[in-house]
Order: sequence, then C-alpha cells, then structure tokens
Amino acid sequence: MSVVPALSVSELRAGYGRGDDIVRGITLDQAPETILAVIGPNGSGKSSFVKTLAGLLDIRQGRVSVTGIDVTAEMPAKRVAAGMAYVPQEQNVFPSLTIGENLKLATEFLRGRAGVGPEQRERVLALFPELATRLKTRAGDLSGGQRQMLAFASALLANPEVLLLDEPSAGLSPKIVAQTMEAIVRVRAAGVTVLLVEQNVAAALEIADEAVVLVAGQVSLRDTAAAVRGADLGDLFFAKVA
Amino acid sequence: MIAYLVTIAILVSIAALVGLALNLQWGQAGLVNFGVVGFVAIGAYATALLAPQIGWFPAMLVAGALSAILSAGLALLSIRLEENYLAIVTIGFGEVVRLVILNEGWLTRGALGIADIPRPFASLGQAIGGDTVFIVFALALVAVVFALLECMARSPFGRVLRAIRDDATVTAALGKNVFALRVRAFAVGGAVMGIAGALHAFYLTYIDPSQFTPIVTAYAFMAVIAGGRGSNFGLLIGACSIMALLEGTRFLKDFVTVIDGVQLSALRLGLIGAGIVLLLILRPQGLAPEPKRRAADLLSNDERAA
Amino acid sequence: MAAQLFFNGLVTGLLLALPALALTLVFGVLKFANFAVGAMLTLGSFAAWVANVQLGMPMTAAAAIAAVTVAGAGLLADQFAFERLRRRGSITLLVASMGVSLMIENVCRFFFGNASRGFDVALSRPIRWEGIRINQEQITIAITVVVCLVAVDVLLRFTPLGRAMRAVADNASLAAVRGVERRTIARLTWVLVGALLGLAGVLAGLDRSIDPLIGWNYQIAIFAAAILGGLGSPIGAVLGALTIGVAEEMSALVIPTNYRQVVSFAVILALLLFRANGLLGAKAARK
Repeated sequence: MSVVPALSVSELRAGYGRGDDIVRGITLDQAPETILAVIGPNGSGKSSFVKTLAGLLDIRQGRVSVTGIDVTAEMPAKRVAAGMAYVPQEQNVFPSLTIGENLKLATEFLRGRAGVGPEQRERVLALFPELATRLKTRAGDLSGGQRQMLAFASALLANPEVLLLDEPSAGLSPKIVAQTMEAIVRVRAAGVTVLLVEQNVAAALEIADEAVVLVAGQVSLRDTAAAVRGADLGDLFFAKVA
Repeated sequence: MIAYLVTIAILVSIAALVGLALNLQWGQAGLVNFGVVGFVAIGAYATALLAPQIGWFPAMLVAGALSAILSAGLALLSIRLEENYLAIVTIGFGEVVRLVILNEGWLTRGALGIADIPRPFASLGQAIGGDTVFIVFALALVAVVFALLECMARSPFGRVLRAIRDDATVTAALGKNVFALRVRAFAVGGAVMGIAGALHAFYLTYIDPSQFTPIVTAYAFMAVIAGGRGSNFGLLIGACSIMALLEGTRFLKDFVTVIDGVQLSALRLGLIGAGIVLLLILRPQGLAPEPKRRAADLLSNDERAA
Repeated sequence: MAAQLFFNGLVTGLLLALPALALTLVFGVLKFANFAVGAMLTLGSFAAWVANVQLGMPMTAAAAIAAVTVAGAGLLADQFAFERLRRRGSITLLVASMGVSLMIENVCRFFFGNASRGFDVALSRPIRWEGIRINQEQITIAITVVVCLVAVDVLLRFTPLGRAMRAVADNASLAAVRGVERRTIARLTWVLVGALLGLAGVLAGLDRSIDPLIGWNYQIAIFAAAILGGLGSPIGAVLGALTIGVAEEMSALVIPTNYRQVVSFAVILALLLFRANGLLGAKAARK
C-alpha cells in the first residue's frame, strides 16, 4: 500500500485486569475511506479488540496508529483528538441528556482536534436530519434506531479519520439494522474510514469493502468482503488459527 | 492491672458477639446492617427489664428471641432492597430504637436508665470473688456462640449463604429461595446481637440510652473489616485487636496531660474512623481472610440437585 | 396552628434541600451513599462559628469560609479514601464514608468539645403575617437556599461542567471517550457538594445550637429526602426535602414531637416498599 493506512495495528495484545490476553497478537492495516468488517464467533475478542483501539482496555504489547500518528500510549480522549472516534455497543448515548446536550458534549471537552466547529455540526446534522428537529428530546426517550443515529452523530462531530463501531446492530429490529447500515455507507461517503465489529455477519458483509475474521483473539482470515460472503461461516469461525 | 485485663476481656467478649453477628449478616450473607446498635439495645433492655422477674437465663433467651423477631421483621420488609437502600433503612431502624427507648419512659425509664440488673451466678461470684465468675461466663458464652456459628458456616445453610452473597442470580437459578435464606440469616444475626446486648447489660448492671450510639455499629464494622469479611476466626482476632487498641488509648491520658476527657474520647472515636478507612485501603482481605471460592463451587452437587 | 406548622415545615424542608442535593449529587457521580453528609454539615457549622465568633467576621464571610472548608475536606476525603476504594463497590465506599464521618465529627469534638454554641448575630423580632410567625432566620434560610438551588440548577442544566457531571453520572466510560475526565469531574463535584454542605451547616447553626451532633440530627431526614426523590435526581432531592420537612413538622398534630424523626424513617420504608424507585429515578430492588 502506497498511501498511509488510516488505521494501523501491529502485534496488539490486551486483556482485563490480571487475566489472560483476550486480544492475542492482532496485526492489520486499513486503507482510508473503506469499511472493514470484523467478524468472528462469540468470545473471539471482537469487542475487546475495538475497546482496546478506543483506549478502554490497557494495551500490553503492540502499537496502534491513526493516519500515521502513534496513539498506543494515549488516553481515550487523546485518541479522539488524534482522529479516532468510537461508538460503543448499545449504551452509547447519555440517556438523561437531551439530543442537543449529547451533541454539545461530544466536542466541548475535546482539545486539539481540528475541524471541530459549526461547519462540522452542519455536515453531521445533514447526514442525520431527523436529529436536528428534536434537539430538546431526552436521549433516553429515543427508539433504538434514533439512539444509534445520535451515537453516530456524536462520534462524527469530532471530525474523525477513523470511526470504530462496536456492534451497531445489537438490539435493533431488521428494518432498523438496514437503516443503520445505510447510515454507515453515508459516513464512508463523507470520507471517514469505518472499522465495523459485527455479530450480524450478513449485514456487515453487505456494506463492507474488506473483512477480517477473528478467532480466539487472532486474525484467522483477511479477504475482500465479496470473497468472505461466499465462504462457509462454520468453516471460517471454527477453523484452526493458521 | 488484673482488674483492667478483666475489663478488657469482657469488653472484647461483647464486641466479639456483636462482630460475629455482623460477620454472619454482612460478611457471610452480604447483607449490610447499619442498625446493629438497635438490636444490641433491644437485647440489653429486654434483659434489664426481665431478668429481675424471670431470672437471667430466660431473660437472655427472650432478649435473643426478641431481637431475632424484630430482625426478621425488618428483613421481611427491606431485604429485597439494593444494598445502599438496605443500609439506609437499617440506619433508620437504629435511630428509631434509640428514640423509642428515650421517649417511652414508662417502660425504659428514658434517659435515667435502668439500674440493678442482676448478674448470672451472682451468689457464686460473691463466694469466689469479683469478676472471675463473670469473665468465665462471658468467655463461655462467646465460645458457645462461636461454635454454633462456625457449625452453621460449615453447614449447607452457610455455604448457600456465601453462594448468594457472591452471585445471587446464579444461586436463585439453582433453585434456592434466596429471599427466605436471607431473612433467616438476618434473624440469626439479630439473635446474636440481642445476646450481646444481654451480656452488656449483665456486665454494666446499669444501662441508659447514651450507651447505645451509632459508635457501637462502627465498632462492629471495624471488627469485621479487621478480621476479614466472612471469617469467624478472623473476627475474634479483629475484635481483640480493636479493643486492645481502644483501651490502650485510655493510657494516653496518663502521659499526655494537655487533653481532657472529652478530647480523649474524641481521639478514640476518630481513631476508629481512621482505622476503618485505613483497613479498607491497606488490608482489604483482613487479618485472617476467608478462602476465596466461586459461587457455584460453594454448592456441592447434591445441594444443586436438591 | 396547622398553617404555622406548614410554614415551618417548608423552611425545614429548604434547609434539608441543600444536604439532600449534596447526597444525591455524590450518589449520581461517584455511585455511593455518602454517610458523612451529616458530619460534613457539622464541620461547616464549626468553621463558620470559628470565623464568626472567634475571628469576628460577618456572617457572609463566615459562610464563605464554611463552604471552602467543607469543600477542602471533601477533596481530601476523596483523594485519600474514596478514590482509592472506587473499584471496590458502593458498600465499601459507604462503610468508608462512615469512617470519614467519625473522623470529621470527632475532629470537631476534639477542638470544640460537646458544648452548645451559637453564632454572634443580633436577635430580631419575628414578623407576623396572616397569623403566621416568621423569624428572621427563617427568611435568611429560605432566601439563601432558593438562591443556591437556582445556581445549582443553572450550573447543571446550562454549563459544560453541569453537562459533564450528568454525563459521568449516566455513563462514565462513554464520557471518557468524549474527553470528559471522570477524576476531574469527581473533584469538582466534591467542591460543589462541600460548598453546599458548608452553607447548610451555617443555616443549621442559625436554626439550632451548634454541637458535634448538629449534622447527625438531620442525617435520617437527609437520606429520607434523597431517597424520596430517587437517589441521583437533583430535582427529586429538593422535592423530597420539602415533603419530608413538611411531614416532620405537621406530624406534631398527631404524634408527640419527640418522634419527629420516626416520620422520616416511616416515609423511607413505606416508599421503598410501595414504590421502589422513589418519586423520580433510580431502582432500589436488588437481584
């Protein structure tokens, strides 16, 4: 790859407290403005991997960089400032704050991130027009799909290079899952690189450019999304790590 | 000096009983109780009022039973609550008991207190001399309660309690009636607190409401924390070291002349507070911790089938 | 008679509102019930007494000193006790706050003894209005509390700090991802809570005599107010405080005044039994 990768991970190892490594040596590069689907069986370390990238799990070994900037040792907030935004699974908005307050909070404590201002707010609200009309609604009163849109919008307000999504389809109805996936495509079209961790493999591969399969905290396969779509999931998920 | 050691031994016995009770409720069953003093006071007043009429032994039994019944009643009402709320309800209970004792003068003589509470084996005591008989009585009482609680901790009941404490959901899924078991644990703890109150009344032979402040609760918590939550043996060590420390500070008065009695008592109570915080931070596992096991492992196979 | 009691109850309720708010804010942001609310209030009373009586300062300056002193004590307790125990669960923190409570109360007892004291303020005649007797102190209490409540409301609703506090209360790890440092917010919460408790101590000292148990006298009522409002809900705490204040005073019509505190306990118990979430807010049942 001649261009600088948007996201570069090498030999990453991480785990909880004094427990064993959950992420066991992951290496991958992701080209800018692509969607990379991260799939794998339950307990394969997908969610821990994305939490490690976001800075919520201590890195024991390896490096993480965003557009060439090393963020391995940074706190979560500094990673956002370096261009990496994260949308956690399900509990990803502040329920007792209104939509407007959620959006304000998304940027007012970020320091050192360029392109975070009224123009970015306009651009993000244009992607999710429904939010702009309901700024006074409490986020806790939103439906699952609306909540997901607010979570995306909050993350995008930080003008990220890379957006990390942890199971955006969790807890949503099939119709809303389809809308959410459409929104992710719009986000990529707006120039953002998306790392999409998904349990809903079909939906993720539908929109992804490439996919990696994680098994037991390691990459067992990396290929184009189209190629992985044709493969047998059982073989992929339960194959021995090479 | 001998008289002094006797005093300490008896105070340790009372503290150990209260501590053992809290250790059952909080240490083993995971049910926090900030109203310890209320149950001790009920036991002490029941004993003080009944012992002259029906004799010390029946009075002590009634004290234990009454505390157990009130304990079970409070548990029935509030044991389902999340622990922060349970803590608050029990604090409130302790205060209510104090208010009732203070205000129902027809029964408790209010702030005047009750004097001339008969001691067990009083005639024998006069024959042999002083506190010797009483100290044997106090230590024997602690030994009996300790043995009973230790048997209970090793019994299926005790194991299920610890399983509930560590993971109530799993234990309920294994078919245990979590609510009923918690109420029983709380009631047994209440009974022991009532008996501790009886021993308190026997020893002082005079009780009044000022003896039953939230400090009694703080002592009990410190003993449990010092000993290591859940361990009865650790609790005994905890109770001994705390009383030794507390009573040791009384000697300060002989060396430091600038502080008066109120200041000395403030110093001791402040030390208890500092001790609780320091022990929690520095020695979370206590002096003699309970061995660590998983919730499911506490239930043997036949119990799971039952 | 009833009107007078109702009025007195409202003022008592306002006095309770500040510590109840303090309790609920700590519960929201730091996730534990701070047993030391009463003791911190006591510290505020004594700090103001030293400034007012021993140093001869006016009451406003004394109140500022009380606020700063208690805020400092809150920061110290947070730094040396609560932060170190944060990962060990809310009951460990509650037990630790009992220890902190004993320490603060007895620092006051060590330096000032058990004697009752009062501020050096001029006595003034009560006002009569529609048959209700209104003391000067009651007016001071009502105005101070209302101003504080409005200020806290504005802070929580319209400032970045307020949004950050509510965000940390909702979801601390999400807040961290948004650049909100939990530690900083925790410290600022203690400063705010300390200031509220310091002022509450001053107002309590106007209302009754100052001794090491002044705060403990309010303890059950404070907890009742915060629970009634649903622990963690600021508006709920204020409404809860007014309800408890009125209920305690009005109870004089039916039960002996000695049992006022039992009213708070009965309210807590009844509420938790019949409506486990308080008027507004958090869940109280356990698994």
